[in-house]
Amino acid sequence: MTQTTTVRDVAELARLTIADDDVDKVTQEFNQTLALFDALTTVDTDGIAPMVNPCAESQPLRPDEVKTLVNREALMQNAPASEQHYFLVPRVID
Amino acid sequence: MTFCYETIEGMRGKLASGAISSVELTRESIDRITDLNPSLNAVITVNEERALDAAAKADVARREGNSSPLLGIPMLHKDIFCTQNMPTTCASKMLEGFVAPYDATVVKRLNSAGMITLGKCNMDEFAMGSSNETSHFGACKNPWDTARVPGGSSGGSASAVAAGLAPLATGTDTGGSIRQPAALCGITGLKPTYGRVSRYGMIAFASSMDQAGPMARTAEDCALVLEAMAGADPLDSTCSDQVVPAYSSHLGDCVQGMRVGVPKEFFANDLNSAVAETIEASLKELEKLGAKLVDVSLPSTSLGVSTYYVIAPAEASANLSRYDGVRYGYRCDNPSNLQDLYLRSRTEGFGEEVKRRILIGAFTLSAASYDQYFMKAQQVRRLISQEYEDVLSKVDVIAGPSAPNTAFALNDSSKSITDMYMEDVFTIGANLAGLPAMSVPAGIVEGLPVGMQLIGRRFGEVDLLRLAHQFQQRTTWHTLTPTMEERH
Repeated sequence: MTQTTTVRDVAELARLTIADDDVDKVTQEFNQTLALFDALTTVDTDGIAPMVNPCAESQPLRPDEVKTLVNREALMQNAPASEQHYFLVPRVID
Repeated sequence: MTFCYETIEGMRGKLASGAISSVELTRESIDRITDLNPSLNAVITVNEERALDAAAKADVARREGNSSPLLGIPMLHKDIFCTQNMPTTCASKMLEGFVAPYDATVVKRLNSAGMITLGKCNMDEFAMGSSNETSHFGACKNPWDTARVPGGSSGGSASAVAAGLAPLATGTDTGGSIRQPAALCGITGLKPTYGRVSRYGMIAFASSMDQAGPMARTAEDCALVLEAMAGADPLDSTCSDQVVPAYSSHLGDCVQGMRVGVPKEFFANDLNSAVAETIEASLKELEKLGAKLVDVSLPSTSLGVSTYYVIAPAEASANLSRYDGVRYGYRCDNPSNLQDLYLRSRTEGFGEEVKRRILIGAFTLSAASYDQYFMKAQQVRRLISQEYEDVLSKVDVIAGPSAPNTAFALNDSSKSITDMYMEDVFTIGANLAGLPAMSVPAGIVEGLPVGMQLIGRRFGEVDLLRLAHQFQQRTTWHTLTPTMEERH
């Protein structure tokens, strides 16, 4: 059974906050989902290579050439805060 | 005269003969969206002015001799595809107001084919859901009964096509998100082979399973659209360079002797008995077409749900780490420092189901759990994929139900989170194995549509489409339409 402290730690790693009022419910749902995964433990997977994706073909390679694919101005228009082509964030170093 | 329930093929004929113009078709679709969308919430962005302008241009092009099969046909995109000059939100507060600086390859190709984009469809937030209830813009409704869900995640696309708002909508399918809503809304939907259609500009959920496909009234329409959507793309390295067949030219190919595998696990306890009877009757229709039914077994079917719900959230937690409130998307008010900006932007910007999956994904990818969950699920994925390959070495197509039930009620509090995940029990296998699969209308149970699922070999879309097309020549389920009240 995963504890609330673990769920809080994972949330912090994922940069999410769980409100104090919600933590018990989130932990309960978390454990409910993990219980669904128990069935996997019954499967013998010794010597089975993990399947990362279903591509049968090898991935093509292309020459490493610099290309302009998108308009920088258009990209920057979606930034919540920017200045002179830079994204603005709160001060990082005091 | 109304054309709202015409197929693409039907509209194409009328456009070619001059019986109707693209502007008239587009106008009718927009009027219908205006009338019916308030009760359906299937469309979240309407592109009226540009659509009418594009339709006028298509009419000119036709007069000048352009005979492209999709020229001037109106359609909708799931709001997961990036569109220049129109918002792309993935039905999330996180992307409210986001306008992509480029078109997704799917959008670009259908534009090039002359299709008219009417707008963008509602969906489950970031494609995470099976009911379209997780959308930031509110739940979408099923036109067969507006107290019920249309399925998900491509619920808006399915609802829109079923209600006659457009003859086609694009969808995406990571664990059943084209097929389950197609089944619940009584339309035809195709999830192509992984790698058949480019994922460039399609907002990522679980990159090893996401695939785009058409949602339409008939297999014939799906064939026409897939021809335009599919094919190699230098902007997606997982997109195959295998030649795209002329799917619509093979619809009449003989299905006599085609071997159709019926997995016993698809008819187990999870399946509603009335849905089971409907699918069994449809299988008999396939037999009448000359197909040979073969009993097969996919013993790991129930393990698929566990496998998928480890892998998809793990990939999602990595993919959704890009939403940090810095470069695009939602940013919280007055962040006190960078950590606060990340934490509050993500906590306020994502909905509950998305956060639930990010948490599970971050957990199964963490060093302490990786082998127990993520690695194990990837190994089981290979076993499941091998089961499908083994069966498909003996039969040409696998057939069964698309979903265990018909459309369920909105806000059904009796359904737990994991009950909802079980909605995908029959569809997930094709995503884990990367196989093409369709849902075709197969009957009505208590006034609600039922879908039959057909699963094919890798790049076996030709087999699926011709079997589905010939089934639709014998049956009329795909021609049934819901009764919708209109203002005029």
